[in-house]
Amino acid sequence: MSINANWLAAPVIIPLLFAASSLLVATRVNLRQMRVQRNLALIASVLNLGVALLLLHSTVIQDQRMVLHAGLWQAPFGITLVADALSAIMLTLTAVLMVTIVLYAIGTLDQREGLNFHPLLLFLLMGVNGAFLAGDLFNLYVFFEVLLMASFVLLSLGGRPAQVNGGMRYVVLNLLASTVFLTTAGVVYGTLGTLNLAHLAVRMEVAPLTLRIIVAGMLLIAYGSKAGLFPLFFWLPASYHTPHPAVTAIFGGLLTKVGIYALFRIFTLLFPDLLLEWQPLLLGIAALTMLAGVFGAMAVNTIRRVLSFHIISQVGYMVMGLGLASTGNELAIGFGLAAGIFYIMHHMIVKTALLMAGGAAELTMGTGQLKEGYLGGLVKRFPLLAAIFFLAAFSLAGLPPSSGFVSKLGLLQAALDSQQWMIAAVSLLVSALTLMSMVRLWQKGFAGKQHKAALPTPRRPIYGFTIAPIMILVVISLGMGIFSDTFIQWSQVAAGQLIDRAGYIQAVAPTDLIAPVGMEH
Amino acid sequence: MPEIYLSLLDRILTPVLLMLAVIFLLAGHNAPGGGFIAGLVVATAFLMQILARGDQFVRRLIGTYLQPAMGVGLLIALFSALTGIGNYGVFFQGIWWKISLGDFVLEFGSPTTFDIGVFLVVSAFVTSYLLELSRPAERAAK
Repeated sequence: MSINANWLAAPVIIPLLFAASSLLVATRVNLRQMRVQRNLALIASVLNLGVALLLLHSTVIQDQRMVLHAGLWQAPFGITLVADALSAIMLTLTAVLMVTIVLYAIGTLDQREGLNFHPLLLFLLMGVNGAFLAGDLFNLYVFFEVLLMASFVLLSLGGRPAQVNGGMRYVVLNLLASTVFLTTAGVVYGTLGTLNLAHLAVRMEVAPLTLRIIVAGMLLIAYGSKAGLFPLFFWLPASYHTPHPAVTAIFGGLLTKVGIYALFRIFTLLFPDLLLEWQPLLLGIAALTMLAGVFGAMAVNTIRRVLSFHIISQVGYMVMGLGLASTGNELAIGFGLAAGIFYIMHHMIVKTALLMAGGAAELTMGTGQLKEGYLGGLVKRFPLLAAIFFLAAFSLAGLPPSSGFVSKLGLLQAALDSQQWMIAAVSLLVSALTLMSMVRLWQKGFAGKQHKAALPTPRRPIYGFTIAPIMILVVISLGMGIFSDTFIQWSQVAAGQLIDRAGYIQAVAPTDLIAPVGMEH
Repeated sequence: MPEIYLSLLDRILTPVLLMLAVIFLLAGHNAPGGGFIAGLVVATAFLMQILARGDQFVRRLIGTYLQPAMGVGLLIALFSALTGIGNYGVFFQGIWWKISLGDFVLEFGSPTTFDIGVFLVVSAFVTSYLLELSRPAERAAK
């Protein structure tokens, strides 16, 4: 069964449709309208999950690509949407996270904070989905901007000074990265005469080396900054701990991964040779990102700050997968890429679960401080929350049988196989340090005695709606560890499609009518 | 802070701006113009009103309709894009209807309705932005 290509537009249409509808009801602040918005968001996220699973089935299981030329304008002239296995995997993970975050918001968001949270969440979903489907550089840029704007408003929702402060840093540094991205798109269009990715893949092969290096370098800076790579990650720890925990959780799960996705897509499609030539650079960045993240996590003292720094160190592992993409001795070429993709799958699920659990603890206790005399005793007070946090932290640290263990093992195998001893050693070290950091969170935040004197009374109870989504994510993570062969197979299909550039170009089939400036042939 | 000379100017300029907006909106497919530009022109007309009669007046007049207008505009644009899917077509494919009115033929298509949606979103968004900006300015003037 192959489905109509029009379905590719659905992950963009559905959030937009429901966000626009909820603008119609949101004229005044009251509980009933917020409830309508929330229900619309819930329906939208469930529909979106259905479509994502449909796309997952027809790309990953059937191992093929889907292309939609909007308005029948052939590439490179029209808007092209492309879904391959990697896009579909990312869409599905995003859809799962969206459903859980809407549920989590029911349990944690109060009425005033909730105004317009749901429409913004849907706009964010539209931007993220669009970025995963974009078949050309300019639309990738546009969807990056959509998600940036939605996320900026989400960050400052509530308008406390700390939020505005963090939000400003977030938006300024991200706009800088976007400017670099847009400039690169201009350079590419001015020299190669096209922005369509498949068309670029053809023309990049005959482009001068200087141009290739400039474009690849600038895109590495732009996407690297969005992904939170060393040394461009400063916006992340400055802003992620300030908004409502539901916002932090969805940002931590989604946003940096869009940058990582763009890096995976661009490097495998446009610069497959640089993947080998720049291997020391990519692996160096990966190692420094891991170390900077994990050391940063040890230096800070609130739950969500610690977890934010761990996002950075985990992103390093994904870049490690990209760095190992085109090498292999015993293992097939592309095994590193597959391990990286598996790592993304594992990370998006587990990180969101951890941030949700940490956020719930913070909301209930009124503080996220890890210093003596603040948190503590959560094991006795909320055993279920503590147990879930324990399982998620367990998975992040990479202990068997969780998904973290399998994904780290895959990357380590790829590193040892290509004889990259440095990155193998760093990844092991960072793993151990992550475990230490998780133990610290556990001891300071959850175990130990309850500090009655210093503790404000619990702000609000923990509802079932707070716990249920975290449980869903933890169960998915455990499932990914126990039935790992299915998920590894999926990531291998995705990696195989990424490496098969000819297949991508053939699927999009750009017409080559207009010769680029200075390259007439 | 209503100004007398501005309210005189506004009586002349506002109809001109609104007519220009209609021309831009309908001309957009074959000539320069389109929903985005028409939306900006209409927002300029509202800016004239804000300057001439004060933001309170404009807010009372259209304030509650702005956010629904954005929603309606988005929905119109979305459904125009979706009409392309009917008849085994493709998302965003243009559908044109020809209506003959005696001597001349009116061409009306889904790109036109898409532009009308864009027009609504842009005019409502820019107007609400201008209204928010004029709030502190009004306070400072007092």
